Amino acid sequence: MTDDRRSSADDASTASAHLRIEGVHKSFGAVRALRGADLEVRRGEVMGLVGDNGAGKSTLMKVIAGVDRPDRGRLLLDGREIAVPSPAAAAALGFQTVFQDLALCENLDVTANLFLGHEQTARWARCLPPPLRPLSGLDMEERSRRAVAQLNLRTLSSVRAKVGALSGGQRQAVAIARAVRTESTVVLLDEPTAALGIAQTSQVLDVVRQLRENRHAVIYVSHNLRDVFAVCDRISVLRHGARVGVWDTDASAPDEIVIAMMHGRDDPPSAVAA
Amino acid sequence: MTTLSHRLRKIRAHDLGQFLPVLASLLVIWTFFALTEPAFLSARNLYFLLMQSAVVATLAAGVTVVLLIGDIDLSIAAVAGVGAAILAVLVTNLGVPAYLAVAAALAAGVVLGFAQGWVIAYVGIPSFVVTLAGLLGFQGLMLKILGIHGALNMRDPAIRGLTTVTLPNWLGWALALALIAFVALVLFRLNHHRRQRGLERMEAAPLLARIALFAALVLAAVATLNAYRGVPLLMVILGAVLALLWWVTTATPFGRHLFAIGGNPESARRVGIPVRRIRVAAFSIVGLMAAIGGIVGASRYASVSFNAFAGGPLLLEAIGAAVVGGTSLFGGHGSVWNAILGALVIGSLGNGLDLSGASAADKLMFSGVILLLAVSLDALSRGGAGASR
Repeated sequence: MTDDRRSSADDASTASAHLRIEGVHKSFGAVRALRGADLEVRRGEVMGLVGDNGAGKSTLMKVIAGVDRPDRGRLLLDGREIAVPSPAAAAALGFQTVFQDLALCENLDVTANLFLGHEQTARWARCLPPPLRPLSGLDMEERSRRAVAQLNLRTLSSVRAKVGALSGGQRQAVAIARAVRTESTVVLLDEPTAALGIAQTSQVLDVVRQLRENRHAVIYVSHNLRDVFAVCDRISVLRHGARVGVWDTDASAPDEIVIAMMHGRDDPPSAVAA
Repeated sequence: MTTLSHRLRKIRAHDLGQFLPVLASLLVIWTFFALTEPAFLSARNLYFLLMQSAVVATLAAGVTVVLLIGDIDLSIAAVAGVGAAILAVLVTNLGVPAYLAVAAALAAGVVLGFAQGWVIAYVGIPSFVVTLAGLLGFQGLMLKILGIHGALNMRDPAIRGLTTVTLPNWLGWALALALIAFVALVLFRLNHHRRQRGLERMEAAPLLARIALFAALVLAAVATLNAYRGVPLLMVILGAVLALLWWVTTATPFGRHLFAIGGNPESARRVGIPVRRIRVAAFSIVGLMAAIGGIVGASRYASVSFNAFAGGPLLLEAIGAAVVGGTSLFGGHGSVWNAILGALVIGSLGNGLDLSGASAADKLMFSGVILLLAVSLDALSRGGAGASR
């Protein structure tokens, strides 16, 4: 069984894991997308998740985001077993996902996007049906200014700017800000720099570092090893639906990761973070 | 071309920018007719111009709600016709009290709008097709309700009064001053709160300039109307209805969600906005506004006939007014005020061309050019030649 690939050497590091995934299997018909995949992430840590196409990164993301339900395996939040049956359940547990297409409305301003679907309304208007209560525009604007400030997004001059007028990096940051606006602890980022130029990429990486500063547990999925090495504390390599191993970013080289992505590794990783 | 569309986009980005194209075309039309037709700017003509534009403005404001979510409603004129026909049959033939007949007409509008919205949202047929079917079906329904004659008179004093009563001059002035004071108070209070919270705010000078401009427009309108008969009661009622509609579409979660659905339906769905329910609600609102338009029309024409509503140019004038006003056919951009300004453009054009004795052929061609210009401005300000979306 491929379960055996699971490395017992990781166990020492999982004591403080905030979110931990153990032996997750997921099949779509005859396709076995995940075959006993493991992953863990601590608070205040950026965990890179890399792998070749078809390694199971997206499926693992969707399992955590509540989009797909695993066939087998456990999810543990602070050591307690949890189920994530739906995206709403994921949000309730404090898991927020920023998918590649961002899902922003370009015709609305930054504040409106940050609060979309969760608008604040005036307290005195309880007698009205919720969709017709007056919006508390100033409260929302104040909070979105704070959210933007928290991410250290200096280039965004106004939260009243329409998202359609922002750069790709700023949009990514707005999508991330929306994800962390709520009481979230785990943030999943799917290829956040895929469509960005150099300057905008560094802007987004700064935002990711800021998430770490703010004690979020960040799972960072990417093809781009340069970005992964720039921002992640540890890197999990996924291959054929299972984890090859976990590398400490400081103590490993991109070549090792590439080899692990392509060929896997038989002996347990030596550079696992303690 | 790119610099033009870039400049247009910059104008659009400004908070008053979305009104500039329609205000500019209104100014051009008024200047042109003021120079060629001395009667155009007379108090009497402007009074009739406003009354003529009322039905179109009501329907255009209604259809704006579905244009915002990227849908269209081709049945508005037919629904207005059904509402007017129900009103006329109840009042004229059956002797039902006016207020009950009005309530029945409004309810019919909501039901027809709701039914179409439900089919669009839950069966998943494009709004163009469903409301095209509605257009045909409700035209037939209107004829059926009116009976074989195809027209009914409307003599009920209460209903006629809706469009014939004007306010005494002093009341017109008092309402105008109250409105200006209210708007100034709201704007100053908002700016004050923004300052207290350290949010971006408007400088005092542009704020005062805006209030002064608004006051000048309102006072000029009242002065003009008072010079003829006074402020029509209809303007006060429709003004209140349209202001309420504007508030609902801009200052509530429902309104915010309309814009979100028009901007990016997939995102709206993913953040948990009940897209289907909102579409049904939007079409119900259009039905209600269409019925209001039908009642106003019945009152103004003192009769209800097929050609004045369902069978005439009302539908295209209303949608044309919304689009000329600057509301996008692609969803996510526009407002009730744009629809009203657009209705004034369409109304002024028709009124001025009538004054100058233009033929029906010239009127149609003129309207076509204006509509095309407005839609081109819309497309250019959105990135030109479909560059972005």
